[in-house]
Parts: sequence; structure tokens; C-alpha cells
Amino acid sequence: MTFEDWFRKDRLPHIFCAGCGNGTIINCTLAAVDQMDWKKEETVFVSGIGCSSRAPGYIMTDSLHTTHGRALAFATGVKMANRKLNVVVFTGDGDLAAIGGNHFIHACRRNIDMTVVCMNNQIYGMTGGQGSPTTPRGYLSTTTPYGSAEPAFDLCDLAIAAGANYVARWTSYHVKELEKAVLAGLQTPGLSFIEAMTQCPTNFGRRNKFRQVADQVEFLKKHSLLKVKRDRLLLENKEVPADMFVVGELVRRSRPAMGVSP
Amino acid sequence: MKLAIDETRCKGCNLCTKVCPYKIFREGKKPNRRGIVVPELDRPERCANCRLQKLYGRRLCGICELTCPDQAIHWVEEEPYEPHKVAIEY
Ligand SMILES: Cc1ncc(C[n+]2csc(CCOP(=O)(O)OP(=O)(O)O)c2C)c(N)n1
Ligand code: SF4
Ligand code: SF4
Ligand code: SF4
Ligand SMILES: [Mg+2]
Repeated sequence: MTFEDWFRKDRLPHIFCAGCGNGTIINCTLAAVDQMDWKKEETVFVSGIGCSSRAPGYIMTDSLHTTHGRALAFATGVKMANRKLNVVVFTGDGDLAAIGGNHFIHACRRNIDMTVVCMNNQIYGMTGGQGSPTTPRGYLSTTTPYGSAEPAFDLCDLAIAAGANYVARWTSYHVKELEKAVLAGLQTPGLSFIEAMTQCPTNFGRRNKFRQVADQVEFLKKHSLLKVKRDRLLLENKEVPADMFVVGELVRRSRPAMGVSP
Repeated sequence: MKLAIDETRCKGCNLCTKVCPYKIFREGKKPNRRGIVVPELDRPERCANCRLQKLYGRRLCGICELTCPDQAIHWVEEEPYEPHKVAIEY
């Protein structure tokens, strides 16, 4: 089997805009799921609302496309009702960190055995490009016409502080690394959080001078700082560039987890 | 194995033209029936997966396939098998 076999082919092509990174993230996630020897009948994909949250609708398993911000609350219910099920959550930065922020914190604290993949395009894509909690300072959106004045949320730091067992960040450029990180997440008992930085050419790229789809991908690639390099900079007491984000495996530990299949 | 782009899925984003180490995908020139400019393939027989998948019995490289947001890149069997002369520049 390959990851293609997990798609509902009758539903393709999907509704995402040309060059939207969500499709790439779904590919990488399914490529990891495909290596798990999971039965389709025992796998559930859950999501909230947003472009990113449409992902489960294209996958050949049971799925829940729930209300905005509540993906983790529904996923918790699924896992508590039947811990034999393998639960994977797709969510967006707005879905997870704005309206769903509290669910995120408590799902990490409870360390529920599921894998959460956040497609962070740093914007509310579906509703026309409003700023989200992860829109970086200085970037334009319909609600930050002079550039965002707020510092952005670091979702991985949040997941680490709240107690998730596995935390990693990659981008839509790092497809193989992302696939491996999701696989590690699926294999780790407890909550695994994988943040996938991705492009939204329609609502983020267009307003922020990325003329081609590839320009924003190139931007993500240029602004990712490998964790080993960041650690070396810290060790040498050198400054870590403020406009870069760390990519790599950030945490892997074994705090007590809930809902682990016996 | 033969590399192919599914024209019914491709949305012409050109991401594949950036990621292939052999630069097999090139920006297309003419819009197709759906008004989409699908990339062209430049000597696709150079693709690592086209050449070696059979030998290794697994997917090789596959970066373009994973990257393509529209699940448009795939490989088709060649029957009967046509041998290719492949020149690879390093
Ligand atoms: C309770 C509720 N509030 C607001 C909305 C409107 N809404 C729909 S999607 C969305 C933002 C989605 O952003 P994100 O999660 O980042 O997804 P993206 O579209 O960027 O992938 C909002 C505010 C809603 N559907 N329900
Ligand atoms: S609006 Fe942005 S996130 Fe939504 S489908 Fe289009 S490119 Fe993707
Ligand atoms: S990456 Fe996929 S959708 Fe984009 S141009 Fe290439 S084949 Fe088409
Ligand atoms: S599998 Fe690798 S070598 Fe083959 S076309 Fe795709 S990116 Fe190029
Ligand atoms: Mg978003």
C-alpha cells in the first residue's frame, strides 16, 4: 500500500487553492499512517473548522469534521469511548490556538494518546485572511492592515509546557522530515504534536508579497533553523535570529498518558 | 515505471519544478482544456524511481509525489517493458 490508497479518490481533486500546502501535509501524514499497519476500520481522523480541517473528508476512514476549535474535545471523546481506535487530528492555527486554545492545553496536559497535526499557515485561510495568533509580527492580513503588532504564539513551546509527549516542527518544504516526524508521533504513546508550517498563497502569500507559490515555500525553508544549530548557537552564547523558527524534534518523553490502547 | 502527471488533478502550482533533484519538471507553456498550465516532463526516464523502483522493490525518492499538493504525480507501469537509454548528469 502507498499513501495514495488512503485517499477517497472519488473526492479528488480537493477544494484547496492551487499551491495550498494543506495537500502536501495530508500526503506526508498519510505516508506515515501507511507505515503503521493500522486497519482503516480502526483509524479515525478528526478535525475542527477551517481549510486545513477539511482534510479528513478526503480520507478513506471514519472521520469527524466538528465545530470550530473543538477537534481535540471530540477526539478526546472518541479515545475515551474506545481506546482501541487510532486517532489522528488535523487542525489549523486558528482552530487550535485561537478558539481552541484551551482544549489544546488540556489535551496536552492529559496527554491523551493521539497525534495532532497542525497546518500552521499563520492566517485564517477559510474566512478570507484575518490575522491569527500565529501571524508573525509585521505581516499583513485583513485585520492587521499595517502589519501585525503582536508577538506570535509558539505552538510547540505551548505543547511542551503543557505536557505533550512528542513535539516536532517542520515545514511543507521538508516533506521527508515531516513524514518521519509524524511517524514518530504515531508511534509515541500519549499526545504527539506536529506543527507543519505551510503556505497559504491565497490569503497570506498574496498580501505579503509572495508572488509565486514557491516564493512562500522558499521563505519557510530559509526561515527554518534546525534544532541542532539553535542548540549550538545557545551553547556558544550567540544570538538566535529572531525571525527564524526552530525545526526538528523538540521533545520526546514518557509522561503518564491517557487512553493508551492496552 | 513511467512518471506521469494526472491532468485532471494538477492545478499548475509549479511546486514540482522546484523540488526534483534532476529538474525533470519544467513550467508548462500552454493551458490545457481546464485552463491549467500543467508542467512538462523533461526526459522523465532519469527519475530515480522510474529506474530503480523495480530493482529495490520500494518507492525511491518520491519527493515530487509527496510535495504535490494535488496528488497529481504518480507512476504507471510500462507494458511491455521498454528499455531506455538513460544519461544522467551529476
Ligand atoms: C464558532 C465559530 N466561530 C467562527 C467561525 C468562522 N471561522 C471559520 S474557519 C475560521 C478560521 C480558520 O482558521 P484556521 O484554523 O487557521 O484554518 P485555515 O483555514 O487557515 O486552514 C473561522 C474564524 C466558525 N466557523 N465557527
Ligand atoms: S485559502 Fe489558503 S489555506 Fe485555504 S485553501 Fe486557499 S491557500 Fe489553502
Ligand atoms: S506540484 Fe502537482 S499540482 Fe503543482 S504543478 Fe506539479 S503536478 Fe501540478
Ligand atoms: S521521484 Fe524524485 S527524481 Fe523522480 S521525478 Fe520525483 S523528485 Fe524527481
Ligand atoms: Mg490557518
